[in-house]
Amino acid sequence: MDIMIVDDERIIRESFFHWFQKSGHKVATAASGKEALEKLAETPFDLLFVDIKMPGMDGIELLAAVKAAYPETLVIIITAYGSIESAVQAMRIGATDYLLKPFKPDQLSLVMEKVVQQQKRQSEYNYLKGRLEKITRFDNIIGQSPAMTAIFELITEVAGADASVLLAGETGTGKELIAKAIHAKSPRANLPFIAINCGAIPDTLLESELFGHQKGAYTGAIQERRGFFEVVNGGTLFLDEVGEISQKMQVDLLRVLEEKKITRVGSRQPVAVNFRLITATSRDLEAQIRAGDFREDFYYRIHVIQIDIPPLRKRREDIRLLAAHFLKKFCHETTKRVDRISPLASRVLETYDWPGNVRELENAIERAVVLSKSRLLNDSDFAFLRPPPVTATPGTSLREMEKYHIRRILDRHEWNVTRAAKALEINRVTLHKKIKRYQLKPAGGKIGSR
Amino acid sequence: MSGSTNPDRAKSAVAVIPYAGASTIAAKVIAAHVSGYLNLTVETRPPEKIPPDALDKRRRQYNAATLIQTIESMHRKDCFKVIALFDVDLFTPIFTHVFGEARQNGRVALVSLFRLESHMNGSSPPTDRVLERAAKIALHELGHLLDLLHCDDDRCLMYFSGSVDTLDQTGFNFCRYCRTALRRKLRQEGIIDTPT
Ligand SMILES: Nc1ncnc2c1ncn2[C@@H]1O[C@H](COP(=O)(O)OP(=O)(O)O)[C@@H](O)[C@H]1O
Ligand SMILES: [Zn+2]
Ligand SMILES: [Zn+2]
Repeated sequence: MDIMIVDDERIIRESFFHWFQKSGHKVATAASGKEALEKLAETPFDLLFVDIKMPGMDGIELLAAVKAAYPETLVIIITAYGSIESAVQAMRIGATDYLLKPFKPDQLSLVMEKVVQQQKRQSEYNYLKGRLEKITRFDNIIGQSPAMTAIFELITEVAGADASVLLAGETGTGKELIAKAIHAKSPRANLPFIAINCGAIPDTLLESELFGHQKGAYTGAIQERRGFFEVVNGGTLFLDEVGEISQKMQVDLLRVLEEKKITRVGSRQPVAVNFRLITATSRDLEAQIRAGDFREDFYYRIHVIQIDIPPLRKRREDIRLLAAHFLKKFCHETTKRVDRISPLASRVLETYDWPGNVRELENAIERAVVLSKSRLLNDSDFAFLRPPPVTATPGTSLREMEKYHIRRILDRHEWNVTRAAKALEINRVTLHKKIKRYQLKPAGGKIGSR
Repeated sequence: MSGSTNPDRAKSAVAVIPYAGASTIAAKVIAAHVSGYLNLTVETRPPEKIPPDALDKRRRQYNAATLIQTIESMHRKDCFKVIALFDVDLFTPIFTHVFGEARQNGRVALVSLFRLESHMNGSSPPTDRVLERAAKIALHELGHLLDLLHCDDDRCLMYFSGSVDTLDQTGFNFCRYCRTALRRKLRQEGIIDTPT
């Protein structure tokens, strides 16, 4: 342990020094509060013994300063008989314990035991907190895959910078959620967050939504209206599906980003605006640029920082965690008691490809919870995720039936070809040939090796 | 002088000195334990007077730091380590009292019988119990003189005991680790050369 003794009396400092030296602790000393703070600024200390009565900065002042700047450093207050009052005050502002000088040797060992306990609790707490909040949870964004963990770190990093952020990922991967998290962690957190789905609004409407309009600017503009650029008022503007914006609109937006000024539709008076821009796309913007559908200058403006969010099928280790999260959420909302997902159902969820990503998973869990009649979600509760089985109707070919049956058996045996072949009562070579002929692929992209 | 032989080796490695009224029997018991446990040559010296400047008149106790300093200067060359035995109460500036005191890697260890002979409630323990405690403290403090640190094993002599109760509970042995450290130190100092 790194210990510092702060006392204006040399013999007290030496006494402590010799005692702690015998326990193998590293001990530094300071003759005043000022000297103590100087040493703390240079190297970290685990524990400080602070005399309450010192000329200049007294022990209480030093304690307060230490607790404010180095909350993890523990402080033991040393006081003489007769100043119990200040010891009590010290405990209130964060001292771990106090000692009345002189004290019995075993009182000091008791205090040290308490310090060790507190340090252990602190480090356990930090560890757990770190695990829960950093790795599997970031605000309300769930994920434990390396990709999501890296995104959590990026969010924190990017939030402080005021640069434009482009979020790239398939629909339903959580782009809006991440945009909100960046806003919530940024200095603009207390100002508005406005999300606009550019793909859902026709161009002319988008223009008046963003820029606002003067009374009578066009037929139907009965009243003067402020646009989102003004309403956002220093906050964050989130433009989803930015790849859907027309070329003309891209030029207008580029001008706003450069000039930080807008002009309402039907007006000539420019108004200064202030906002942070976050955009999102599920399209490949670079391909759109090559095809001439997206302006390169606008692209460079909006993707100062780019965060790529992988589709759910590329981070299957998040599925179980997300499913549990949504299960809890919907049980809470529907007051239904469904607590568990069966192992078989979990496997169905983990092997499904989720073209609609997290949104589709969320909807699937909601549907299963609403329809479930038991406390346990079974694989049959997720039957709707699979394409309807081929049933033998007079019109079904033998080839179709065989393909379907082989796929089903392979799925059941987790694509372990040896076991599937045994179940089908054919040999492995034949099964491999049939897999090739029917172009069968496992849902998760993996083939069992044993 | 040849560098390989330690000039202290011809004399005793450890001297046990009773001060003022400290029991010479206790001094002999300590000497026997030190030679028995550490396999060192030990001698018991005749009683000496307590350095008078160590008395703190206000506290009516003797200052352990002052005693160590004075005794160190008096016995500079005549032995490797000194165990000074007292029947007066010892203190340090931070502690109300100490049973014993030594500096890490120092030359002089203090042992006080004062609080071992009578309990706070006025009763007195049997003599052999007192002698046992004194020997434990002497071995513990000698351990510090030989650079041993406090040990987490509460059965080890290097476990820190702040009260006679915990002292009575600690074993009469150094643990494996402390024993190894002790041997290494003694070999380094040229006090023993058996590679056991
Ligand atoms: N990592 C995640 N943790 C928790 N919920 C998520 C996560 N990713 C997405 N969601 C949820 O899935 C749904 C779709 O997310 P959204 O941010 O709208 O995706 P996108 O903007 O890419 O279409 C939302 O209900 C969102 O709360
Ligand atoms: Zn000790
Ligand atoms: Zn030990």
